[in-house]
Amino acid sequence: MKITAMTASKVLLDGIIKRNPTFVLLLGMCPTLGTTSSALTGMSMGLATMAVLTCSNAAISSIKNLVPAMVRIPAFIVVIASFVTILQMVMQAWTPGLYSNLGIFIPLIVVNCILLGRAEAFASKNSIWLSICDGLGTGAGFTIALTLIGLVRELLGAGSVFDFQVYDSSYAALLFILAPGAFIVLGLLIALFNRITNS
Amino acid sequence: MLLSLTGLTVVAGLALGAVNYFTTEPIAKAREASRREAIAAVLPEFDNLEDIEYRSLKLYEASLNGNTIGIAVETYSDNGFSGRIDIMAGFDSEGALYGYRVLNHAETAGLGAKMGEWFQNDNVIGTTATIAVKADGGDVDAITGATITSRAFTDAINRAREAYENYSHDSK
Repeated sequence: MKITAMTASKVLLDGIIKRNPTFVLLLGMCPTLGTTSSALTGMSMGLATMAVLTCSNAAISSIKNLVPAMVRIPAFIVVIASFVTILQMVMQAWTPGLYSNLGIFIPLIVVNCILLGRAEAFASKNSIWLSICDGLGTGAGFTIALTLIGLVRELLGAGSVFDFQVYDSSYAALLFILAPGAFIVLGLLIALFNRITNS
Repeated sequence: MLLSLTGLTVVAGLALGAVNYFTTEPIAKAREASRREAIAAVLPEFDNLEDIEYRSLKLYEASLNGNTIGIAVETYSDNGFSGRIDIMAGFDSEGALYGYRVLNHAETAGLGAKMGEWFQNDNVIGTTATIAVKADGGDVDAITGATITSRAFTDAINRAREAYENYSHDSK
């Protein structure tokens, strides 16, 4: 029992630091660059992905013995797409504002390679409990990364943090809100992340 | 192999159907609520609202104690920097633009996305004729760095005005 708890916390922490999907594995770059123009949208995108990832990891782990290896990829995609569609409908019903903010990026969670990657590399080989931990950990890593990128971009590009104005936006460098700013901030944060984890 | 994939898709289909069944009504309600909220934001106080389909646009005639006090027009422009922009525009009974609310857009954050607040000024609100940005000879200050969005905005408002005027003319 003690060993299970140990591995669970290790799996959780690995997803955030050692195998951080954004800063280490560089997976899921499309939503990373596309939804981080503000801290709030970045964080919501991270949480939405985390919800789908945790559910799909649990489901895939529970059916891993029923699905033959030959058709596992289509099976994974059916599971992931179903959860994304459910999330989409639930968000439209109860958080319409957030849904219209994230727009096309919600259905695009289906093709986020983090989900298929974790399904293939982890959930199809491990227990449900550990797969849920992996989903939560990787999702948290993704959420933290997106929130950080969004935070830096919003601060430099719009002069605010979580929509709270810090300094006059006319002094802000608009570049950081636009697409090139996403690449610049991502690159710098990866460098910083490597510096911290290597030391 | 065939069996497991079929079984999986059947289960997935059932789950989706169930969620769809339970969310259809809340989704419709949420859409309706945000539309009503937008109408209330662009018109003076009213107690009755009538939906009108007019030449492919949706109009909402608002009245207070039986008198028409204004019309909200659900208008759009396809000329946005990143595609379609949906705007709710309200005109009072004198034909002046009373207010507007951006419903949907995909404009650049920090640039075109500012249109929700940017145009809330005297050169737009209260105007009784078509509007244009200064670069096109009008009075409206375009958003700095987002002239295309600004043009799309005036396009949407002018489309609303045209529908409003034609409808007022027709219904007399």
